Amino acid sequence: MAAVLPAVVEQLLSEMAAAVQENARSTGLRSLKFLFGSSATQALDLVDRQSITLISSPSGRHAYQVLGSSGKTYTCLASCHYCSCPAFAFSVLRKSDSILCKHLLAVYLSQVMRTCQQLSVSDKQLTDILLMEKKQEA
Amino acid sequence: MAETLRRVLTRDGAAWSGEENTPVAGPPLLLLGAPGSGKTTLLFAAALEAAGEGQGPVLFLTRRPLQSLPRGTGTTRDPMRLQKIRFQYPPSTRELFRLLCSAHEAPGPAPSLLLLDGLEEYLAEDPEPQEAAYLIALLLDTAAHFSHRLGPGRDCGLMVALQTKEEADSGDVLLLALLQRYFPAQCWLQPDAPGPGEHGLRACLEPGGLGPRTEWWVTFRSDGEMMIAPWPTQAGDPSSGKGSSSGGQP
Repeated sequence: MAAVLPAVVEQLLSEMAAAVQENARSTGLRSLKFLFGSSATQALDLVDRQSITLISSPSGRHAYQVLGSSGKTYTCLASCHYCSCPAFAFSVLRKSDSILCKHLLAVYLSQVMRTCQQLSVSDKQLTDILLMEKKQEA
Repeated sequence: MAETLRRVLTRDGAAWSGEENTPVAGPPLLLLGAPGSGKTTLLFAAALEAAGEGQGPVLFLTRRPLQSLPRGTGTTRDPMRLQKIRFQYPPSTRELFRLLCSAHEAPGPAPSLLLLDGLEEYLAEDPEPQEAAYLIALLLDTAAHFSHRLGPGRDCGLMVALQTKEEADSGDVLLLALLQRYFPAQCWLQPDAPGPGEHGLRACLEPGGLGPRTEWWVTFRSDGEMMIAPWPTQAGDPSSGKGSSSGGQP
């Protein structure tokens, strides 16, 4: 049960992957910018700076963490679209005017471009990472 | 999960004909309705359906133990199937989060269906949309992990029941929009009847782009048993035999 991205986004992501292969990133980037605006450049920047980490565990369950430009780390679930950043909460959930925040877009880009840091943790550690996103009770 | 629900609703109490049980559960489904509209009964029926021959266990999450097992939808409550339904009762939102975040640590075979009854109770504790989104996203992520553990060609379905209020306020509208983002398929249970003098509920299943909307008429017998029949369609119903005005389009 994979998350379903709109077909056009899937298409653009594959074109981006192809463009990267041919050293023609700027072409792929142009289409992404059309759809995502400045988030596209910021997302690509995050990929270039190796800011995305795939955290995997022996159970096979995994999650992503993205080191944002502010220095804060956000957790993203790739199986469905979720990011813990405030921009996701605001523009994607409340205003419903963006499909993805730049961190989620960076995660998908790093998937198609096959470039991201890898971190293996134990099952218990992954539980703690996922739980940490639940705000601490006051 | 929409497929499993459709099978439950279409079976109409007749004996299961022995059709091949497909491993496809369908997209995550949200079941909506007012109190007493039969959500728990339908969830339970889906659990029995998924716990059939050769299928994996079923995980049923609810805040409080069910006072009595729902009567079901005409099928016998086969004890073999009942045994495969694992009930867990997270008493708070925090406990539900803990359960979902640690689902990959739990030993034993992965369930083929994950059900949650009473989502509204868990969401009520945390009115912030981001927390609600994270809870819902974790439900989906947990089901996705179970699907991965079941192996290629097999899926863990997800079905969540949410109680709706008579009067929706702006917070509810926002929540519903959020839920529709994450749940491609929805089934609404609303009081309605196909004719004057009749009563019952209209179950309207929107499978989320995989097929047309389908409707059933749901009534409860005096002993609590749920009776399901296709919603009577009018003559010339447009959903059957659509005209080919856009012939040839992919």
